[in-house]
This record gives sequence, C-alpha cells and structure tokens, in this order.
Amino acid sequence: MSNKLEGFSTSASTFNADLDFAFWLHIWLSVGLFLSVVVPMIYFAWKYNANKVKNEDIGKVTHNTTLEILWTLIPVAIMMLFFYYGNTTMKMFRTMPAEAQSLVINVEGSKWKWKYTYPANASGHVHEVGGVYKKPVMNDDGSIKEHGTMGISALYVPKDTNIILKMTAPLSDVLHSYYIPAFRTKQDVVPGRETTLWFNANRVGSYDVECAEYCGADHAYMYSKVVVMEKADYEAWYNSNKGDTPKGDFPKDGKSLYASNGCASCHSIDSDTILVGPGLKGIGAKYDSEYLANALTNPDKDVPEGFYPGIMPTFKFSDEDLKNIVKYMETGK
Amino acid sequence: MSKTYFDETHCAIGHPKSTFMQWMLTVDHKRIGLMYAAVMFTFFFVAVFTALLMRFELFAPGQQFIDGPTFNQAFTLHGVIMIFLFIIPGIPAIFGNIVMPLMIGAKDVSFPRLNWATFWLYILGCCVALASLFIGEGVADTGWTFYAPYSLNTDTNVIMALTAAFILGFASILTGLNFLVTIHRLRAPGMTFFKMPLFVWGIYATAWIQLLATPVIGITLILAVMEKYFGIGIFDPSKGGDPVLFQHLFWIYSHPAVYLMILPAFGIMSEIIPTFSRKEIFGYRTIALSSASIAGIGYLVWGHHLYTSGMSDVAKSVFSFLTFFVAIPTGVKFYDWIATMYQGKIVLSTPMIWGLGTIITFAIGGITGITITMIGVDIHLQDTYYSVAHFHYAILGGVVFLMFAGMHYWFPLITGKMYKETHAKAAFYIQFVGFNLLWFPMFIAGWYGMPRRYFDYLPEFQIYHQVSFYGALIFVSGLIYMFWTFYRGWTKGEPSGTNPWNATTLEWHMPSSPPPLENHSKVPYVDFNPYEYHHGEPVVKFNYETMQRID
Ligand code: HEC
Ligand code: HEM
Ligand SMILES: [Cu+2]
Repeated sequence: MSNKLEGFSTSASTFNADLDFAFWLHIWLSVGLFLSVVVPMIYFAWKYNANKVKNEDIGKVTHNTTLEILWTLIPVAIMMLFFYYGNTTMKMFRTMPAEAQSLVINVEGSKWKWKYTYPANASGHVHEVGGVYKKPVMNDDGSIKEHGTMGISALYVPKDTNIILKMTAPLSDVLHSYYIPAFRTKQDVVPGRETTLWFNANRVGSYDVECAEYCGADHAYMYSKVVVMEKADYEAWYNSNKGDTPKGDFPKDGKSLYASNGCASCHSIDSDTILVGPGLKGIGAKYDSEYLANALTNPDKDVPEGFYPGIMPTFKFSDEDLKNIVKYMETGK
Repeated sequence: MSKTYFDETHCAIGHPKSTFMQWMLTVDHKRIGLMYAAVMFTFFFVAVFTALLMRFELFAPGQQFIDGPTFNQAFTLHGVIMIFLFIIPGIPAIFGNIVMPLMIGAKDVSFPRLNWATFWLYILGCCVALASLFIGEGVADTGWTFYAPYSLNTDTNVIMALTAAFILGFASILTGLNFLVTIHRLRAPGMTFFKMPLFVWGIYATAWIQLLATPVIGITLILAVMEKYFGIGIFDPSKGGDPVLFQHLFWIYSHPAVYLMILPAFGIMSEIIPTFSRKEIFGYRTIALSSASIAGIGYLVWGHHLYTSGMSDVAKSVFSFLTFFVAIPTGVKFYDWIATMYQGKIVLSTPMIWGLGTIITFAIGGITGITITMIGVDIHLQDTYYSVAHFHYAILGGVVFLMFAGMHYWFPLITGKMYKETHAKAAFYIQFVGFNLLWFPMFIAGWYGMPRRYFDYLPEFQIYHQVSFYGALIFVSGLIYMFWTFYRGWTKGEPSGTNPWNATTLEWHMPSSPPPLENHSKVPYVDFNPYEYHHGEPVVKFNYETMQRID
C-alpha cells in the first residue's frame, strides 16, 4: 500500500482537466470576492479607528445606489458563471456514453467490500473479482507494522475506453458511495436501486477507490482500486478463463488471500474459538488438502458437528490461489 | 437600590419561597433565556469534549485511542448535540428571549406561561434525545443525519431519535409562534416594522421558518413509525421503500434549519456593526429584506445535499441555480456592513472584534459553500473533509462566533457587570488563530480526497490532521479562557451602567442595570430609527423613569 491516494495528480481521466479548471477558476474568483470584503474592512478599521476620528467627522452615508447595484450585479454575474461551470461539469460526469461503445461492469457495494462482475467473455466465462480490504496491522504505539492490501479487490479496465459501472447494493445492505478521487468522480450506491457512474482513463496505472457514504464499522476501510491496463493486456486477461486477477503487486500468498476474503471474520486461525465457523487451529492434522479445498469450493457438502450448511459462502479460487490458501490453513504460512 | 430581575420574578404556578423553585417556575423572558444558556452551554461542552476525543484519534493514521465504532458514536453524539440541542435552538432561545422583548419595548413575550412550558418541553426533548442515543445496543452510530437504511437496520433507536426531534421541534414551533405574536402585537407604539432593530428582523424571519419547516419532522416520524410497526415500505429497500426519500425529508427540514441558525446570528452582527461604528447602518431595508428573502428561498434548496444520491439531473440544476440565489442576499449584507464602517468612528471593543473576525471566517465558510454548490465540483467534494470544513467555518466560525459576539455585547445588559476587556480580547485572538488552524487544513485534505467519517486514513493526510489537532487544542484553551473571563466578570467585574457601549436600541434604555422584572418603567413611544447617531452620540435620549424623550 502506498501512503498516498494513488494517481490523484496524474490527470488520468478525461474529467480531470475540466473539473480542475472549474474548481480553480472558482477559487481565484472567490479569493477576489473575499478580498473585496476583507480588505476594505481592515482598511476602514484602521483608517477610521476611534482614536483618529473626531466626532464631527463621522459620515452620514446610508445609501449609494450605484454601489448597491454594483455589489449586487457583479456577484450575480459571478454566481452565474459558477453555475455555468458547475452545470457543464455535472453534464460531463452524468452524460452516460452509449452502452454499445462502452464496457459495462456491474458493481456491488456491500459492507465493507466492492465486487465487480464482468460481462461473459467469448467462451462464456464470467469474471468476478473483488473482496475485502485487509486492514493494516498496528504496533502498540500506533505505528504501522504491516501495510494493508488496498486494492487486492481491484477493478480491471482497459485504457481509453468508456467504462460504465452499474452499481447497486443488496437490499439488506446500506448506502455506500463509489469514489475515485483521481478521476474526481463519485456516485452513491443505493440498495434496491441501480445507479451509474462512468469514466474513461487515459493512463495506465492504478487509482484508489474509497467509500464516501458512511456505512458503519469498517467504512474507513472500504477501499478498492481501479487498475487501468493497456487494451491488449486487458483483452488477454478478459478472454482467458483464469479466475486469477491479472496484475498488480498485490500479495497472493495464502495469508493475504485468507485475510482479503474475509475468512478471519468467521474463523480464528490459531485457536479453537468459534466465531461464526469453527476455529481452524490444527485443521491440517485433521483433514487432507482435498477436504480443505472442498470445504471452500463446496462448503455445504461436509458440515462439521454443531454447524449448519448455508452460512459459509462458496468461494471460487484459481487453482494456484486455492493451493496457497489451503497450504496456509495447514501450515500457518 | 432598585430591584432587578434577579431579585424578583413572576412564576407560572403560585409563588414559591425558595429561590431555586422561583427559577424553575419563572416566566420572565430574561430568566428563561439564561436558563436556556446554562443548559445549552453544558451540552456544548460535552460536544466539544467528544470533538477533542475525535481529534486525538485522528492525530495519526491507524487506531490510537478509540476504535472505528467508538469514533462513529463520537461524531454522532457530537453532531446531534451541536446541531439539535445547541445551535438550532441556540440564538433564538437565548438572545431571542432575553433581548428581543427589550428591543421592542415589551414587558415580556406575548405568552409568558407558554414560554415557560416551552423551556421544559425543550428539556424533555433533550432527555429523550440523549436517551435515544444511549438506549439500545450502545450509543447510536448513524451520524447526525440518521440516513436510512443504515439507521433502520442497526440496533439504534431512530424512532426515539425522531420522537426527540419531534419534541424539540415542537418547542421550536412554540418559540417561533410566541415570538411572531410578540413581534406583531407587542411592539412599542410608533415602532413600525422598518423601525425595528435588525436583530428583531432576524428573529422574525427565523420564527417563520421555525413555524413552517419544523412540521416536516413530524411527517417523517409518522412515516418511520408506519414502516417500523406496520411494515409499510417507505424508506427501507428490503420492504420496497426508497432510502433517498428519507434524505429528501431530512433535508427539507434540516436545510432551512441552517437559516434558523444563521439569520439571528446576522441580526447580532447588524446590531454590533453600527454601534461600534457610531453611525447609522448602511442599507437598513436591504438587510431587513434580505433576511426575509433568505428565509423564503431557503425552503427551496434542500436538494443541494443530494447531488450524488442519484437524483435527476434536471432537479440538480434547478437546486443548484436556486442555491446561488441564497448567496446573493448574504453577500449584499456583507457589503452593507462594510459600508457602515466607512467614515465611521470605529471602536474596537471586544464585541466588535468578534464581529469583524467573524466576517473573515464566515466569508470563508460562505465562499466554500459556493464551491460545493457547483454541482460538478461537488461530485468530487461531497462527503469529503472539504464539506466538513465548510460547515464548521459556517456554523462554528459564523453562527457560534456571532453568538460569542452577542455574549460579549449583551453581557453588561444581562449581568450589570463588565468583564475585563484585555482578557476577553486575548481570548478572541487565541480562538481565532486556533479555529483557523483547526479547520483550514481540512479544506486541503478534502480536495485531495480525504473522506469524512473516517477514523483511520492514509498517511498522506497526517500533516493536515496534526495541524488541525494543535489548532483544536489552541481553540479550546481560548474557549475556556473566554468562559473564565465571563465568570470573573460576573463575580468580580465593575458595574457596567445601563448603556456601556453608547448604543441606541431600546434594550439599553433601562431604569436599572441589570433590568428590572418588567423591563422599561413606561412603554416608550418610538418615532425614531433604530441606529440614529449624531457626531458619534446616540440621538435619542430618555428619562428612564418616565421613558419620555429628553433630547
Ligand atoms: C460467513 C462466515 C464464514 C466465512 C466468511 C468463511 N467461513 Fe468457513 N465456515 C463457516 C461455517 C459456518 C462453517 C461450518 C459449516 C460448513 O462447513 O459449511 C465453515 C467451515 C469451514 C471449513 C471446514 C471446517 C471443518 O471443520 O470441517 C473450512 C476449512 C473453512 N470454513 C475455511 C474457510 C476459509 C478458508 C474461508 C475464507 C476463504 C472461510 N472459511 C470463510 C463460516 C464462514
Ligand atoms: C470545538 C470545536 C470543534 C471541533 C474540534 C470539531 C470537530 C469535529 C470533527 C473531528 C468531526 C468529525 C468529522 C468526520 O469524521 O467526518 C466533526 C463533525 C461534526 N461537527 Fe464538529 N467540531 C467542533 C465544533 C462544532 C460545532 C460548534 C458544531 C455545530 C454547532 C459542529 C457540528 C458538527 C457536525 C454537524 C458534524 C458532523 C457529524 C456527522 O458526521 O454526523 N462542530 N466535528
Ligand atoms: Cu460504504
């Protein structure tokens, strides 16, 4: 994990230039407006300070039509300019490109992860990526011992392509908001509704995603990443049937997979404590690898005593990932 | 020595002997205002304390003192107290009560007993509000906005919180009603609407909002009850409802509530500026009418809180357009205040430097509000620290600062004593510096993408949070210093006399200091404008026994 929101200043989407222009235009004109109030104020407070002014010299002006018209109309004009730029930038964000010329990806936000479902590729395989973000590990003094894995659940998209995200949340979930600071855009994700967001990125790289609508305990950890790739790289991945994610320096070892798939919230790895599912301490001694792999890909088949089927989610892993995570359960590494 | 309102009072029921019961049962508008102040500032300090807790946690990335869920409870408690218990009712309940009747030459508000009952309704509302936060699975963690469906499917008590808002709303409606009738019926003879002091105009516009916007809370409560107990899907998508509807209803009330806060605060500014410029106010009518028009347009702009919620784009444009038109009358007021200072004789007493300081901070709050009125820009900045910094600049650096200005201005009227100006000014400068350090860095963090309601953040943002932390410490020490100065002033201060600031409005023409139970000895006849100065001296002078003009 880097220490910064990746890609914020790279101007990586088609939105950046216009939005940054509107913002800075507004800021500079506002500085002007601000000074037009504060400079005379400070000047008057100094110039007409009680110890400099004789009582007879106090003025009597209570009206000045020209001035009053000016200081109404000039701000009105400036406000209309702001309205204009606010509105055109809104149109830019909100005018969806034609779906035929875009890549449409379904996004589901739920407490506290993002899931992406791609359209089926030529051989009918549907890529589903996404998952939980792993929290950083802290020392007692609050310094970071181990960085988290922001973006293990990345959204992979080709460069220079219109990407439309059709977003929703499960009915039983809460509001979220998909926010890509580097592209300056966000859109709320509403249970039971479909909202849309689009962008077109013109630089290869990865860009952080944050949840910007308060959603409870792990709101501050509901990150994801947009990974923009060369079209050819993207196509190669998309047309393959590997469940594996294509790219990125994201840890793929068993421990990280275990963390990023949310196993830890239901299983204790190093004790017998029952959270939601059984504690996994010493599980490698009890079962063989095949059983463990099956427990993930077909969890309802063998249900241990005292537990019910239907609680442990079914996981799809690439062969390599499956091997790693099983090894992790067996050896703790 | 003549008797003041501290020595005797009328009571709602009977005439109890004990001083304590006399306070509990008092119908005197001045005493009721003081009791509001006591309760509200207690809440204020609780909320400031939770804010400090958050600031400590935010000092570094990662978890330090409190975990995520506790942080979420902290900002909920902080927001709910600050907004619903402190600042929305604040200025009208305190200064509307204490000063407004004095300014129009009335003996009390129109319905003093109702005023007393309203105070206790407010206390009841506060109790229910706090209970709703603590009953159930721990303290509520929904944020002060209680957005559905989160608020509906956690274990928090939204229904009870809405009931509290409803009771508080009722108190607010009754206060508004009482003030409207008072202003319509009890103005001193001769005082037409355009001879009223501008603070009264502020209270008047506010009272209309209290009366007309608050019932929406009742509607929302009934809808939530129907959903919760009768299973009719209204807000909860799992029952077929629409969570965005909740956001609309919430802001239909809570946006006008923003003007509930700011209009009376502007009123305070309009009293202070002419008094300490020793000069009639510039553009009296514009200022008065701009309050009224802000109150009017203020109803129609709630949608600017929903730019990213999935509202139609046409609606977004309309709401944005209307919102810009709230900015105009606000801006005009600023220019009018500055023009009042032109060729005046500016006395930089404590209330005045609070006023001028607020012009700076509120201008920043207002301008950054315009940033996020630009829809496209708001798509980036919504729910980042940019908007949190904006509303702290507007509410803390605007409304609360003006409340402090009013406290310094009317302190001698209320207590009959003067605080030490050197201390009071020092406390101002400390708070001003602290406040800007506290909130300005957050604009930058917000622009760079720091979302709000995050208890942990990327190390990139640490520098801003640290500056902010030190700012908070400085600000809060200034705050304590200020209250200590008030305390010293009240207990040990010099008697102030009835009109220490050379002000013109009627509350400064009292037969005794502090004022007696039923205010002016006789009802004055008002055939003059509120801020008439000649060569730096108030034009109108009264014999305080007969209330006849003697100039
Ligand atoms: C929502 C909670 C939940 C999550 C998330 C979850 N599990 Fe489970 N898991 C359970 C429950 C409940 C059982 C027992 C019932 C069953 O086998 O279906 C179980 C059973 C198991 C078993 C079999 C244990 C035995 O003694 O037979 C293994 C192994 C396992 N989980 C591993 C994992 C791994 C690895 C992950 C992450 C990829 C994971 N679980 C995620 C709830 C969960
Ligand atoms: C004493 C100085 C204050 C400090 C240090 C302070 C600090 C904070 C902090 C750290 C947050 C949390 C931001 C986040 O995580 O999103 C916050 C939120 C908030 N503050 Fe303050 N604040 C102060 C005064 C005030 C005042 C005077 C008011 C209003 C009268 C106010 C109203 C709010 C509101 C409404 C929220 C939003 C709560 C929510 O997100 O639900 N604050 N404040
Ligand atoms: Cu979220």
